[in-house]
Amino acid sequence: MTSIRRDILIGLVCLALAIALPIAVPGRYVVTQSTLFFIWAIVVVQWNLVLGIGGIFSLAQMALFATGAYAAAMLGFYWKVPMLAAIPMAGVITVAVGILIGLACLRLRGPYVALLTLAIAQVMYVLIVNDTDCFTTAGGCMPLFGGVRGIGQFGDIGLRALFPSKWYIAHYYVGLALLAVAVTISIVVIRGPLGLAFRALRDNPGYAMSRGISRFKYQLWIFAVSAFFTGIAGGFYAVHFRVVGPTVFSFSTLLFLIAMIVIGGLGSIWGPVLGAALLMLADEGMRELSDYRNIGLGLLLALFVIAWPNGLNGWLHRSPASRDR
Amino acid sequence: MDVLIQIVASGLTLGAMYAVATIGLSLVYGSLNMLNMAHGAILTLGGYICYAAIVYAGLHPALAVVAAALVCALVGLLIYFSAALPLLRAENFETNIFIATIGIGSVIENLMLKGFGPYPIPQPLAVEGQVVIGNVHIPLQNVFILGVAIVLMVAVAILLQRTSAGRAIRATSMNREAAQLMGVRVGRVYAQVLALSGALAAVSGIMISSIATLTPVMGGDPMLKAFIVCVVAGLGNVYGAVIAAIALGLLEAATQYVLGVRWSFATLLLLVILVLIWRPYGLFGKQQVVRL
Repeated sequence: MTSIRRDILIGLVCLALAIALPIAVPGRYVVTQSTLFFIWAIVVVQWNLVLGIGGIFSLAQMALFATGAYAAAMLGFYWKVPMLAAIPMAGVITVAVGILIGLACLRLRGPYVALLTLAIAQVMYVLIVNDTDCFTTAGGCMPLFGGVRGIGQFGDIGLRALFPSKWYIAHYYVGLALLAVAVTISIVVIRGPLGLAFRALRDNPGYAMSRGISRFKYQLWIFAVSAFFTGIAGGFYAVHFRVVGPTVFSFSTLLFLIAMIVIGGLGSIWGPVLGAALLMLADEGMRELSDYRNIGLGLLLALFVIAWPNGLNGWLHRSPASRDR
Repeated sequence: MDVLIQIVASGLTLGAMYAVATIGLSLVYGSLNMLNMAHGAILTLGGYICYAAIVYAGLHPALAVVAAALVCALVGLLIYFSAALPLLRAENFETNIFIATIGIGSVIENLMLKGFGPYPIPQPLAVEGQVVIGNVHIPLQNVFILGVAIVLMVAVAILLQRTSAGRAIRATSMNREAAQLMGVRVGRVYAQVLALSGALAAVSGIMISSIATLTPVMGGDPMLKAFIVCVVAGLGNVYGAVIAAIALGLLEAATQYVLGVRWSFATLLLLVILVLIWRPYGLFGKQQVVRL
């Protein structure tokens, strides 16, 4: 069985299970948490393209996610754009921001990129939180980016009105559909020309470059592609929670997501999804121990990087077939 | 004129604190190619140990500083043996150690959160009084910080230039393989550098908490600024880092005065991005030619 067929098979099985979940377990809590899982899984799958495939050590993914969420919320709040149009627009805006960040940092080497992207995210956070000037006074003082409280009341994709009591199940399926598309894109990128270009650049940079593979060009491409779906996920997050605040920039979220990628397996197709699922479950299971959450996350992160750098995906693929990923 | 004195005074204090925080990071990057993301947490730990030593153990403040430096040096050693040493044997050291130290930093930070609580605590190590220059009152605390920073920097410079351990550190950061072939025990250099960096972080943490307050997350901001300083100077360039730290401290004080506190960090960052586009290897960094 070729690897792409295997990917399609795994994807279809997961999709079928996920479609059946709300019917088997209709509890609201499980469904809502699964929707959150879909959102994080989208971000993680797209981040993995940049981090694991592109080899760009960018920590800007949460900033891009926030860009998408804020863009959707602000389009809805200030210009009353319906959310169904605002979310794709947020995706496009995120791509623009992502390309800007990419242009600023992609000529740099690994650690410089990490520091610069981290600093960019921090500046966005500081500028939003410290902004106390009233931009609009309709319904109370609100700064341009909503300040500490964030932005609310920017409309909805209409599923709450359509299914008044079962809207959360509708959101579940929207999230699932988005994740399915995001994973499909990730498979296409990894198994397609972009992935091939990056594999060539990794295995023999000299030969690859002399054959005309420009690292900068492909890195910018992968940055833009992953920014689009991260932005869409951000927009959906905004709609799902009805409010966007500066908490999306928090370091513990960043830690949570990077742990998902590393524990699942950096650079693999299913690793990040697996990591996201496991960490969401572990987070649920240890809700009473929430004080120790970040300690546990930190320990797990360090442990996996040191002992099993290929993550759980590496455990599953001890066979020689794993060499082609 | 008074404004200028005020800006220079607070800028120098900021710059001195950044410099002490930066030297350790820069040394570690220079010799190991390791970005230590736990640096901010170690810095905070230093501040808390000093606080605990004075308030709970009743130690003399000078002894408390030494105790904090020792504990943090130990944490640095621990990071070397538990994370850096095993990762050096594997591939992708730079990326992996970055992620691993993010995890370690989070563990240390949250242990402090558990141990000392989330509320700000004043640092008991403080110097009363002030100096008057013209019409400007400068707290003695700031002068004290500047003095300690200068002493530390001179000490580090002597260590690097005049001792055999310092020579080994410099040799390792210039060329690891050549140093190893000349009989430098690279592993020992790594351990020394991480311990030294931990001790320096502790002192800078005490300094920073003495003019602000102690909170478990206070290390993040100075660490980010120390990284920015490193990046501007060129990663691993210790002397360049000191100059860049003081320049950035002055610049920050100036932008705080002219544009307000809100914009100071954003201005700094914009400047850094421009510097990096102009010189991707930092102001004082040498461009490394990568041979394929």
